[in-house]
This record gives sequence, structure tokens and C-alpha cells, in this order.
Amino acid sequence: MMPLQSIWMMKISLMWLLISIFIGGLILIEKAAGVLPAVWGLLSVHYELAIWGWMVQFIIGTAYWMFPKFLTGTRRGPEWAAWSVVVLLNAGVISLISSVLPQFGYLPKLGRGLILLSILAFVTLTWKRVVTYRNHSH
Amino acid sequence: MPTSTRWFVRSGMVYFLLGVILAFLSEFELFSKISLLPVYWHMLVIGWITQLIIGVSVWMFPRKYRDKKKRESILVWTTFWSLNLGLILRFISEPILHLYPGSTLLNGVVILSALLQVTAFLCYIAEIWPRLQPRKKRRQKSKKREVNA
Repeated sequence: MMPLQSIWMMKISLMWLLISIFIGGLILIEKAAGVLPAVWGLLSVHYELAIWGWMVQFIIGTAYWMFPKFLTGTRRGPEWAAWSVVVLLNAGVISLISSVLPQFGYLPKLGRGLILLSILAFVTLTWKRVVTYRNHSH
Repeated sequence: MPTSTRWFVRSGMVYFLLGVILAFLSEFELFSKISLLPVYWHMLVIGWITQLIIGVSVWMFPRKYRDKKKRESILVWTTFWSLNLGLILRFISEPILHLYPGSTLLNGVVILSALLQVTAFLCYIAEIWPRLQPRKKRRQKSKKREVNA
């Protein structure tokens, strides 16, 4: 069964993908038509969203859903930890992309820090699930 | 593994290989005049990794309507063809765009490639979004549909 945290991560990642692709499309059109030079200012938003918002988040969401589950207790580890991955990662992404605005120039550090914390939480949560139950006796 | 997944994964591997070849070629002076960096990045990030993600998710994610495979396959195949056509047109035109400023044909090809890529992702999101829901909700919806039918 697909857990709610995975559903949230994958749906949010699809929304980031849409925004990233839209900006990427505008940049490509600008390269050819040269009518929207301001769009170049969004280049970092385009790739940060593509990497952290879309790819990393979609992969984390899928891994949290599909990796082998624990045989006893909560099947994917503490739920609050999984929610913290969702919140920290997306707060990090929002901080990163907000830093294109001059008044938020200090946000990249916060964004990278939040993303680091979210990845730490994900690795901690997933580490023990990288197992095989092939030789497990019931 | 469905046919569409095999196509996504195989074309992804082709872009992966081409991306690595491009990275190798970009080290030589001979290729310094053409702009290879954006092509190289997009070959790896969209051509390889994203196509792999799309192919696997189309295969592994639970289907919303088991009886409506045709509708799904239209969206999936539109994703495949518009994404790959968009990428090919992009990879041909983008590196030489700055060598022919004002070329209507080249500019048109770049704009068309951008539109094709956006279309591809819109189709992919339309395909995968309804599949992302808890099993209970999916079961309730399919029961409702069965009752209505």
C-alpha cells in the first residue's frame, strides 16, 4: 500500500517538475526568440527544482514506499520521521528558489541546510530497510 | 515489463551513452566552437535519469483504471514520442544556435523542441497523478464505478 508520505512527496515533486519544465521551456524559447531576457534570472530555479524538487524527491518517495518493510512494529519506521523528510526537503527547496529575489539573498544557506537535514532523516529512516528476507525463517 | 517502459529505458540508455561521449568530446579543442554543456546536462538529466524514472513509474505504479489501458497508453506514448522528438530537435539545434543568429529555421526548431518537451511532461503528469492515491481510496472509486456501470 502506498503510504501517504510517498503520495505527498511524489505529487509535490510532479508540481515542481511542472514549474521547472515551464521555466526551462521559457529559457529555451528565449534562446531562440530573444524576447524575454529576464527569464535567465530563473536559471538556478530551473535546475534546483529539477534536481531537488523533482528527481530526488520522487526517488525518495518511491524508495520509502517500495523498500522492504519491517516485519514487526511500524512497517516503515516512525511516521513523524517520514513527515519530517517531506517538510524539510520542501522547505529547503522553497528557500533555495526564493533566494533569486535580492531581499532573500541569505536563503541558500538555510535551503541547503534544510535539504541536508532531510537527507539525513531519509538515510536514517531507510538504512535498516536495505535488507533481504530471503533466508528469514517464519 | 510493458513495451513503453522498455522504450523509455532503452532510449534513456542511448542518451546516457551519448552524454558520456559528448563529455569526452567536449575536452577536445575541435569541438570548442559549439555549445555542448547544456546538451550534455539535458542528455543526462532528462534523456537518461528522467526517462528511466518515467519508464519505471509507468510500469510499477498502481493503475487507476485497470479497464482503461488504452487511455493510459495514449498518454504514455505521447509522452515518449514528444519527449524524444523534442530532445532530438533540441540536441541538433541548440549547440549551433549561436553560430547562425537570426536563422528562422533554427529558431523555429528550438521553439518547437521546447513545446514538445513541455507537452511530454504535461502528458506524463496527467498519466501518473491519478495513480498516486492510497489503496483504500482506489478500491472505493473502482467499486463506485462498478456499481455505476
